[in-house]
Amino acid sequence: MDLKLSELAGTASEAVITVWHVKEGDRVERDQDILEVVTDKATFDVPAPVSGVVTGIFKKEGETVRVDEVIARIEP
Amino acid sequence: MEAVDAGILGYTEALGLQEDLLGRRIKDEIGDTLLFVEHPAVVTLGRVSEEGAYDVEHFERTGVPVVKTGRGGKNTYHAPGQLVVYPFVDLKKKKKDISRYIDVLEVSCAGALNKLGVPAAGNLKRRGVWVGEEKIAFIGIAVKKWVTYHGISVNINNDIEAFSFMDPCGESDIRVTSAREVLGRELDMIEVKKVFSSELTRGMEEEWT
Repeated sequence: MDLKLSELAGTASEAVITVWHVKEGDRVERDQDILEVVTDKATFDVPAPVSGVVTGIFKKEGETVRVDEVIARIEP
Repeated sequence: MEAVDAGILGYTEALGLQEDLLGRRIKDEIGDTLLFVEHPAVVTLGRVSEEGAYDVEHFERTGVPVVKTGRGGKNTYHAPGQLVVYPFVDLKKKKKDISRYIDVLEVSCAGALNKLGVPAAGNLKRRGVWVGEEKIAFIGIAVKKWVTYHGISVNINNDIEAFSFMDPCGESDIRVTSAREVLGRELDMIEVKKVFSSELTRGMEEEWT
């Protein structure tokens, strides 16, 4: 499953990744916080939408991402 | 929606209360809740505040503490007479849409101000609530496990001079106003909280399409 930040759309067209709590290869449970992002008005602890293994992290801490960009992949 | 009025409470103490309510809302021990508070004079910095966005010397001289916080947004100022509302809303049960949540906050706040006689409105281009070109309410939120915390501050009876010693929300061209400035009289804070509670409850409880 590709992870995007579409829930933030409209709040800002982009967000900055401040902290990754997981790395590639980690197993995550649904609802576990996997990263934190900030926009101009919101700080968002992003929970895993599904349980699975993180098979890809495409953006680093400090990087700005657009809300429609894929930032990570979790395979159930 | 349950409303808790904590009266005048220090920023740090209120943060402790926020964490308690956030934790309890995440565990579903309480329903969606509004926390109303007025803070003694304090400058708060959000996660994306920039250096030099406030006059350090002025606030040192006047004995106003500066607190770094985890909320979104940049710097702002709180003082007694300003209404601060921290809503704890489980967006999983509404809609997982943080942008929509902020829209509802703004619309409800503008609606409450309208009921109190202040012609406030949202602004399509800029976050916050405005009276014409002047900003009256400031937003900085955080979301954990899809539950919201932090929130909105609204200038009601507070002195707004302190805002001239900072770039509120990091925006240097902002002019700030208050309900007292607009109406030329003070509002009863009990009445203000009642109206905000009713408007915010309506906004948060109606269906978000």
